[in-house]
Amino acid sequence: METNDVQNIWKNIDSEINLKTTDELHQLLTAKTRKTINKFLMIISIDVLVCVGLIAFLLTTMLNRQGDTIYQVNNSILCIFTLFALIVSVLSWNKLQNNKYNLSLKDWLEQRIKLLIKWLLGRYSKLYILLIPVLLVMINLSIHVYYERKSFTEVMQYEESIYGLTVGFIIGLFVSFIAVQKIRRYQLKNLEFLEEIHSHL
Amino acid sequence: MKSLQEEFLEILTNYQGILHKVNLIYFRNKTEREDNFQEIIYQLWKSYPGLQNKNSIGSWIYAVSINTSISKLKKERRIEYREKLPESIDKLDVIEELTFHENLRRLIKAIYNLNEIDKSIMLLYLEEKSYDEIAEIIGLSRSNVGVRINRAKETLKQNLNHLKNGN
Repeated sequence: METNDVQNIWKNIDSEINLKTTDELHQLLTAKTRKTINKFLMIISIDVLVCVGLIAFLLTTMLNRQGDTIYQVNNSILCIFTLFALIVSVLSWNKLQNNKYNLSLKDWLEQRIKLLIKWLLGRYSKLYILLIPVLLVMINLSIHVYYERKSFTEVMQYEESIYGLTVGFIIGLFVSFIAVQKIRRYQLKNLEFLEEIHSHL
Repeated sequence: MKSLQEEFLEILTNYQGILHKVNLIYFRNKTEREDNFQEIIYQLWKSYPGLQNKNSIGSWIYAVSINTSISKLKKERRIEYREKLPESIDKLDVIEELTFHENLRRLIKAIYNLNEIDKSIMLLYLEEKSYDEIAEIIGLSRSNVGVRINRAKETLKQNLNHLKNGN
C-alpha cells in the first residue's frame, strides 16, 4: 500500500466519527467538576464508616466493663469526640452532595469551594495536630486495656503495658500524621482544581 | 459578547475531530477513550485563557491532546516502545466497537502498533501537516521529524501488509 493510499483511507475518518453536540461537550466539562466533589464525598463516607465502627466498639467495650470507672470515663470521652466527628461528617456530606440544580455551575461550585476552604484552611483546620495525639492515647488505652482483660488501673501498673502503649503510641502517631497529611494534600489539590475551574467560568 | 466558556465550547465543537482521532490511535476501548476525551477537554479548558496565538488553535489542540493521552498512558504505566512487529498484531482488538470501513479499521490497528511518539507523528503526517508544524507540535527538530516519519511509514507499511496477509 502506498503512502497516498494510506492518506486517502485516513481521509474517510472524518465522515466516520460521531461528533458530539455543544451541549454534550459542555456536560463533559462540568462532569469533571462533579467528579472532584465526589472525591471529597468518598473521603467523608469513609470517615462516617470509621466513626460508626469506633462508636460501636466503644459502646460494646463499655457494656462489657461496667465496673471499671476509669475505663468507662476514657471510652465515654472518646465516644463524645467520635459522635461529634460523626455529626460533622454527616452534615458535611449532606451539604456537599445536596445538588440544587437551579444553580449555575459557577454558583454551585462557589458554594462548595467556600465550604471546602472553611474545612481545609479555616480557623479549626489545624486542630487535628492537637487532637490526634490525645485521641490516639485514649484509643490505644481503650483497645489495650480491653484485650488485656484486666482493669484500667491494673494494666497501668505493668511496666510491659506502659512500654507497649508507648511504642504503639509513637508508631500510631507517625502513621496517623502521615495519613492525615496525605489526605489533606489530596484534598487541597482537589480544592485547587475546583478553584481553577471556577476562575475560568 | 461571548463569555470565555461559550467561546471555548464553540472552538471545541469545531475542532473536536482532533480529539477523537488522537483518542482512536492511543486507546483501545470506548471507556478509556471517553475518559481521555474528558481529560483532554479539561486540559484544553485549563490552558485556553493563556493561549497566545489564536491563529494556531489546531496545533494547540493537537499538542494538548497528544500530551494528555501520552501522560495518561504514562500514568497508567502502559507506555510501550515497540519497534518490532508483534506476532499477534492482527488479533489486537483496537477498535472493537467501531463500525468503520475495513481499510480504515486496518489502518488504525496498524497505527496503534507504532510506538507512542511515532503514533502522533504518523497521525499528523496523515492529517497532511507540514514537517515544520509536526516539529512544533511534537517538539522535535524538523530533521528528526523527517527521519521518524520515514521510519514510521516503513513500520506502518509492514504492519499493514501483515494485517492484510493475516486476513
